Amino acid sequence: MPEFIAKPASLKELWKQLPSLPSSRRYLAGGTDLVTADNAGADHSGCWIDIGDLPELRAVKETASSLFIGSAVKISELERSAPVRKWCPVLSAAIPHFASPSLRNMATLGGNAANASPCADGVCALVAEDASVLLALKDARRRLPLKDLFTGPKRTALKRDELILGFEVPKRPHAGAYFKLGPRARFGISKAAVALAAEISGGRVKRAAVALGSVAPVPLYAARTSAWLAGRELSPETAAEAAELIKSEVSPITDARSEAAYRREMCGVLLSRALESAAA
Amino acid sequence: MKNEILETKDGLFTVTVTVNGGKTTLSVRNSESLLDALRRHGWKGTKKGCDTGDCGSCTVILNGRPVLGCLTPAVTAHNGEITTIEGLGSVHEPHPLQEAFVEAGAVQCGFCIPGMILSSKHLLDNNPKPTEAEIRRALDGNLCRCTGYVKQVEAVKNAAAKMARGRKK
Repeated sequence: MPEFIAKPASLKELWKQLPSLPSSRRYLAGGTDLVTADNAGADHSGCWIDIGDLPELRAVKETASSLFIGSAVKISELERSAPVRKWCPVLSAAIPHFASPSLRNMATLGGNAANASPCADGVCALVAEDASVLLALKDARRRLPLKDLFTGPKRTALKRDELILGFEVPKRPHAGAYFKLGPRARFGISKAAVALAAEISGGRVKRAAVALGSVAPVPLYAARTSAWLAGRELSPETAAEAAELIKSEVSPITDARSEAAYRREMCGVLLSRALESAAA
Repeated sequence: MKNEILETKDGLFTVTVTVNGGKTTLSVRNSESLLDALRRHGWKGTKKGCDTGDCGSCTVILNGRPVLGCLTPAVTAHNGEITTIEGLGSVHEPHPLQEAFVEAGAVQCGFCIPGMILSSKHLLDNNPKPTEAEIRRALDGNLCRCTGYVKQVEAVKNAAAKMARGRKK
């Protein structure tokens, strides 16, 4: 761990402290990725800035049209949040697959996004929820579609010192599903994961968003499959065709966790399961 | 750590924590995990297993929730309330969970048990009558290499029943 850990009490204090902190600094949220990387000798920061208790990042807030989820809210707090269950069914379906209960008491969506692993369950679900990410660097604020935050494995569009404030999910009633294939039923890193958000009316898909984990360099928004699904009847034929289409949209690799061909095949299987569960 | 700046002295920070109900100060290195700090100060019931957040042996309850000591920088626990396995019961007066684990034969080598009992305690504190599925979900992050988890799930069920009887009395 670095020799220096700073803990500002507010955003205002953070921006004030920033210039005086060692230049090789990183934000520390739940620590479940960063401390693990450090324990493995893969982090060489001279300073961590603990933002885990910043009040501005710890809230879940509802407005008329959207739900704001602070970047430092613990995953286990989201698990118990009624507005999250109501407006983020994909995320709610993903949470039981997110690491273990004790890690969910530590981990945050902000960390999940900033770490930018293609296998991040929380982020993959949020991409399907059509979330935007809100960023701040001193007084400068900006917002991006979450899917555009990721530029490669473990790489983001975040500027130096830029902080993830939180995520905004539009309040639109929809069904959600999250299907993940890992080494075990629970508590494992995915070989492939499919997140599906779908607005369904009269057995027909009005609007769909499909996102995938562990099968591309980034948490992948499947634009073609999502667009193709709009207007389709929810049927086994639709599921079968969507399953074929999704396989052409992913670009999995063979690594320690799984093989490319298997992962590609499973994307189809998991998507048809997700569509089936949305139809039920 | 709220609105406080920690002073370093010879590379050591003094953090104030409440461990098992007693307020105390711990001298910790900035680079030290809560797990290592607790063990170095004598709470050796908190076990060091994988050090990568996978095994759950180092589970402690911090501010009401089970967390992993190996991934918690000790300084970030400043002003926190910690329960370790030593806070649950003693040899002469064990906690019902400790008793139930022994009675069910859920303890073999014992290394995972402190973490497992703390995760179970948090479960029963919040859900006194859990289903088997809920018990298994609560113990998701506590790995045991000796048993098949059957006895431990049984132990948690037995403890829940015993604690319910205790409340009725």
